[in-house]
Amino acid sequence: MAESKLVMLVDTKRCIACNSCAVACKVENNLPKDVWWNRVMTVGGPHLDAPSGTYPNLEMYNVTVACQHCENPACVKVCPVGATYKDPETGVVRQDYDKCIGCRMCMSACPYNGVRSFNWEEPAYHLDFPVGDQDVAPHQKHVVEKCTFCWHRLAKGLAPACVEVCSARARIFGDASDPDSEVSRKLRERPAMRLLEDRETEPSVYFLQ
Amino acid sequence: MSEYMQGGALANDDLDFSAPRGRDHAAERSTAAVKSPALNVAIGVSAVAVLAGLALWAMQLSGGMVQTAMRNLDSWGLYITGFMFFVGLSAGGLIISSVPKALGIRGFGGISKVAVFSSIACTVVAIGLVVVDMGQPFRVWELFVYSNLGSPLMWDIIVLATYLILSCVYLWAQIQAERGKVSAVALRIVSVIALVTAVLVHSVTAWIFGLQQGHEMWHTALLAPWFVSSALVCGTALVMAVVIGLRRAGYLEVEQGNVVRLAKLLGAFVLVDLYFFGCDLLTEGFPGGAGAEVVALLTQGPLAPYFWFEIIGCAACAVICLTPALRRNGLLVAASLLAIAGIFCKRVQLLVGGFQITNLDLPFAMNSMSVTYADGTLADAYANLVYWPTPLEFGVTLGVVALGFLIFFLGLKFLPLRPTEK
Repeated sequence: MAESKLVMLVDTKRCIACNSCAVACKVENNLPKDVWWNRVMTVGGPHLDAPSGTYPNLEMYNVTVACQHCENPACVKVCPVGATYKDPETGVVRQDYDKCIGCRMCMSACPYNGVRSFNWEEPAYHLDFPVGDQDVAPHQKHVVEKCTFCWHRLAKGLAPACVEVCSARARIFGDASDPDSEVSRKLRERPAMRLLEDRETEPSVYFLQ
Repeated sequence: MSEYMQGGALANDDLDFSAPRGRDHAAERSTAAVKSPALNVAIGVSAVAVLAGLALWAMQLSGGMVQTAMRNLDSWGLYITGFMFFVGLSAGGLIISSVPKALGIRGFGGISKVAVFSSIACTVVAIGLVVVDMGQPFRVWELFVYSNLGSPLMWDIIVLATYLILSCVYLWAQIQAERGKVSAVALRIVSVIALVTAVLVHSVTAWIFGLQQGHEMWHTALLAPWFVSSALVCGTALVMAVVIGLRRAGYLEVEQGNVVRLAKLLGAFVLVDLYFFGCDLLTEGFPGGAGAEVVALLTQGPLAPYFWFEIIGCAACAVICLTPALRRNGLLVAASLLAIAGIFCKRVQLLVGGFQITNLDLPFAMNSMSVTYADGTLADAYANLVYWPTPLEFGVTLGVVALGFLIFFLGLKFLPLRPTEK
């Protein structure tokens, strides 16, 4: 397979903070109770869904934050056993639950606080049957996990679940190494920012302005 | 001006011949100390504490680490604080013992073996605290099978293991050398290697934190030398407190001159450590921005009590150690304890401080796994200390520390750690 660079674009002008992507992620990956790989954050005031400024000069937009699948990932370098690693063909940062020793070095190395989540207890579920895709790796107690860009769906040629369900069509997923792809075109046409660019981790998640 | 600053007076307070005159008497007293019931009681108490710690650790593993206060946004806590602290504490004994031998200068009397043994006990505690912090301790074998040699944590595991083994070899070599079975040259070579490893172990521990671009507070080149200086402070303080304590208990005889030389060293180390702190605060704070946030967090934020305790405690320790009139045993022990507690406070500042500043200061829907105090808003969670340990964490930590005490007391009882008669 030719080398690709999978990226996610989130159009901040379209995102309405409906949280559908967060829920789709939770269902698709059968995430345990209280575990969320994808969260909607408010850029604006001090509270959720609150704007900054005073009326009528208010400002607010949202960023959906999950693993940034960095090109220069801080987590991969520090993992003592190589449980978290970068897939050379797609650029996706992956996590091997069976290898993880639960030292949480990756969690403290990652600048995007909270995108890596540790199973602090035996995974428990709201339903007594699993949901989502059957190819998702079973969750384990005391290991670190995070967004996989829906690796199991990529294998079938599908886009991640969050892209699929986005009601505002704010999410675009694709290969940035292909100049004709939609993501490459959008990145040429629209100004985009990435989170914490000063940390030089080179995230693969772009927020269209 | 203290005597310390005046070259001419330097030798005077080191010359104290009262101790050798009391040696015959001391030998009887020290044998009594080894057999004393107090030592047996101490061994018993620490063994019970170790067992209690093991039971609590089993509880943590079976019931889940949700019983600790650590959460996704503050994913390390008391265990890793303690790990940093005990790695540092282990420095003193080995360095105090190996520097004179490595450089061929006068040592600190017969305290070398006890000092190295205190290092061994502290190293075991440090390793133990990492083990209890792991979510999957039964996968520890993977470290040797799937080693990622690029990870600072892997470097630390390698250096720490080497350090523990070397400390044991070094202790053994000293005992053998006294029996004439190991040559002075061989002992000197071992002590040089031990010294290099000791410096490495502190640097590598610092790099676990200092090489991370994710945390403003940790990401500084000064961290490694600073860890070495902090280690020298609390390590020397520990050796001084232990030596004065054991002398009081009649376990060994040490000339006051040697204690005074330790005190002077401690005073100097404390000043270096404070100097580094000053340099770091200035460099962080001067440009303003994110670094100034770190300075504000320390001097007036939630970490201020730990910051000021360290600064005032260490300054007081330096005054006591460097003022000849104040170098009385009681005060010296107090100075040592102040320095040790001060360095512990520093470890708390470093660990909690690293998590206290969020990079993405954006509100989101939190839950009980996000952060320790998740009931209010994100700002509420960070208003005070973002993390405070649960009783379980205190219990497990106490158990691991008790293991160190148990090893140390067993060594006092069964190993030939006392100074030999010349």
